[in-house]
Amino acid sequence: MKKKRKILGFKQYIIIFLCIITLNFFIPRLMPGDPFTFLSAEEGQDHTAFSSEDIERHKKYYGLDQPLWQQYISYVRNLLKGDLGYSIHYKEEVLTLVLSRIAWTLSLVIASVLLSAAIGVFLGTISAYYRNSSLDKILYSGLITLSEVPSFIIALVMLFYFAAHLKLFPLSGGMSHFVDFSSRWEMIKDILLHAFLPLMALTITRIGEFYLLARNSMISILDKAYIKTARGKGLKRRRILFYHALRNAIPPIVTRIFLSFGGALGGAVLVENVFNYPGVGRLMRQGVFFRDYPLIQGIFVVMTLFVLVMNYTADAIYKKLDPRVS
Amino acid sequence: MYWIKNKKIKEVIGIVIIGMMLLSLVGCGTSTSDEEAQPSAVASEGEVKQEEEAVVLRLEGGDWGYPSPYLHYSRGPGGYKMQLIFDSLLESGEEGVIPWLAKEWEIAEDGLSYIFTLQQDVKWHDGQPLTPEDVKFSFEYFEKHPPVWNPVMVGNEPIVKEIEILEDNRLKFILGEKDATILEKIGTVRIIPEHIWSGVEDPDSFQDEGAVIGCGPYKLTDYNKEHETYEFTAFEDYWGPKQRVEKIQFVPVSDEIMAFENKEIDVIGIGSDLLDRYQNDPQFKVLENPAFWGYRLSLNMEKNLLFKEKDIRQAIAYGIDQEEMVEKVARGAAIAGSAGYLPKNHIWYNPTVKKYPFDEEKAKTLLGDKKLSFELLTGDSNAEVRIAELMKISLEKIGVEIEIKSVDMKTRDNAVSTGNYEMALIGHGGWGRDADILRTRYSDIPGYENEQINALAEEQLREMDIAKRKELISALQELIAEEIPMIPVYNTTGYTVYRPNTYDGWMYMFDHHSVSHGKLSYLERE
Repeated sequence: MKKKRKILGFKQYIIIFLCIITLNFFIPRLMPGDPFTFLSAEEGQDHTAFSSEDIERHKKYYGLDQPLWQQYISYVRNLLKGDLGYSIHYKEEVLTLVLSRIAWTLSLVIASVLLSAAIGVFLGTISAYYRNSSLDKILYSGLITLSEVPSFIIALVMLFYFAAHLKLFPLSGGMSHFVDFSSRWEMIKDILLHAFLPLMALTITRIGEFYLLARNSMISILDKAYIKTARGKGLKRRRILFYHALRNAIPPIVTRIFLSFGGALGGAVLVENVFNYPGVGRLMRQGVFFRDYPLIQGIFVVMTLFVLVMNYTADAIYKKLDPRVS
Repeated sequence: MYWIKNKKIKEVIGIVIIGMMLLSLVGCGTSTSDEEAQPSAVASEGEVKQEEEAVVLRLEGGDWGYPSPYLHYSRGPGGYKMQLIFDSLLESGEEGVIPWLAKEWEIAEDGLSYIFTLQQDVKWHDGQPLTPEDVKFSFEYFEKHPPVWNPVMVGNEPIVKEIEILEDNRLKFILGEKDATILEKIGTVRIIPEHIWSGVEDPDSFQDEGAVIGCGPYKLTDYNKEHETYEFTAFEDYWGPKQRVEKIQFVPVSDEIMAFENKEIDVIGIGSDLLDRYQNDPQFKVLENPAFWGYRLSLNMEKNLLFKEKDIRQAIAYGIDQEEMVEKVARGAAIAGSAGYLPKNHIWYNPTVKKYPFDEEKAKTLLGDKKLSFELLTGDSNAEVRIAELMKISLEKIGVEIEIKSVDMKTRDNAVSTGNYEMALIGHGGWGRDADILRTRYSDIPGYENEQINALAEEQLREMDIAKRKELISALQELIAEEIPMIPVYNTTGYTVYRPNTYDGWMYMFDHHSVSHGKLSYLERE
């Protein structure tokens, strides 16, 4: 982890953002098909076949009859005004749709990154201290294996085992419906219960990366002279590890936390679909499925913004924590 | 990137078993976390109050849009939810259309005018009375602003020329031309309240509470787009049959079968693999769904002129082993397609049409010494890919080579609608609708024109005598089966399972395959 991260300036972030929104615009439109042509449906499902007149009328209503460059210009213009457009499938403002769901997704993402960082760092520190012991070996191979398993597979396993088989957790959704909660606390408990399995699925896959990072930095730190001094002073093992050593290993971990949000967001999209969790992941799947251009664009813009802000924060914090980076 | 579908979850069971081994590791990992949840909360939530008098049903949710005629999504679950709120002049019963908001009707001799008599004392959910003006208004409003499900227009032409309001709660519909399907079309148009909609300029963005005021048996009492839940509550002043179900609640479900097992929902659809689990258990009741959803093989005769030869089309039909597909892909929960298009459960199905059982010899004779090769376009669902693979194997036996191209659904639909395919496998519902679908289905096959079929199709549309029309439809099916311009593959049946203890009123509409879609399923019936 000695490699220096290249720090980007604010201007570069703006350029990246512009490139991404342009790709956002064109990629959905390059997919074959349009939002209104339905000739088929999923098994057991009915669909409406719009007549060609209906399709024309709909295209006109949503401005899809205009040349692509005109659509692009009005898209960018609206975006600058903060208008993400109107979803064709959901028939609602994209911004409203995304805002109503983003909190669910972001809570999952943030909680899972923090949780996996905490667990990963804790285990990494222990592993580094007992380097080459059997505990270290078990942790190392176990966590590396787990971090290679995609989060939605873990989600499925958990769904079958903990929810369907043991019935410890609800099967799906973000909360119980049509139930009268006796108190606010009951409702919070219910929401946490629903979030538990998706959260775990997302957390487990990320523990490995924090574990490795913490273990590596701790190994190099534990050899340092000041740790030896601390040991020499007869300080308690816990204090040496979690105070003297860990404090110095923290900067790369904090940066990694912020950089992990992007990946966790991607994982959340899939995990939400497993649990029917009410976040943007499900929204995105529907958007792609129905070729709902404004919706796909809107979700990507919001996600892009989130990831860029997190990267920018990571850079800023890294600069603060490590004065050698300018 | 690939997306997980709920159904696919089942297929991952294999992986899951391997995953169970991983689980022991997972267990170690999670035990360090501080968030050990109390299981008791789930147990109490699972036990829905069943003892109460009023029946509360829970069904699989999913967001299907705000149930106004303009804002529901185009798929079935969207439209049928809207129909719980909005009544129409006629309704789909078990045998055919039945009187509904219109308690009776007369058809003029020339078939050009219909007089409907409305029910007395019909109230809107907001307490206002329904008037004949509302009915007239609904038709005119839909003409101006087409709703998602739009039976009032055919192409750019409205089906009704003029509506006159007569005395005694009667309305006269005047048509431009004779049309045997018109009664059903008029009958399914939703009636909306004039006092609300007359002021609405852009119904596509009208999200007000007023947008879901209908005169149907259920009121919308809750809708949450992000959680994908709905609650419908019986309307106390409903004019019609009493509701047997007080509340219908739609809740999010990750896997239907697991949710049913955990009593989170009250009715599910299953395939034949799970039949044994439920069939002999008195706790459950199992119904076989009518086969109104199906796959067909579309042949593009513009792209490949060989398909213009009847012998070749027939050879391909003989070269496809429908029974094998029913057995292997649908696991028995399907019926081989009828070459005359209308499936076996259709009220006007003709059982005597020519059949094409798999027959290598016949196919080879028809082909002569021609060696053919085509590209087959399919969607990417498990069933479609497997059907395509089986077709490839069986067609190889008769000397026809096919190359399978599997793409996502929208890509396939786009290719088919632009004529950019040779052969396409396509699946859709609606096979149980009025037999006039034969006319529309067989009139726009690219590169195919058959005067006899067109003439018969046109004739049945103008024939107002039901018995005579049925004869024409039978003849049309025979002709189509002989010509075989497209090949129906199979129609899926599947099963519906429910707990009769909770509710036992489920019913199929005569033209539809889902018990939970028809409003009659929730009402008292004779």
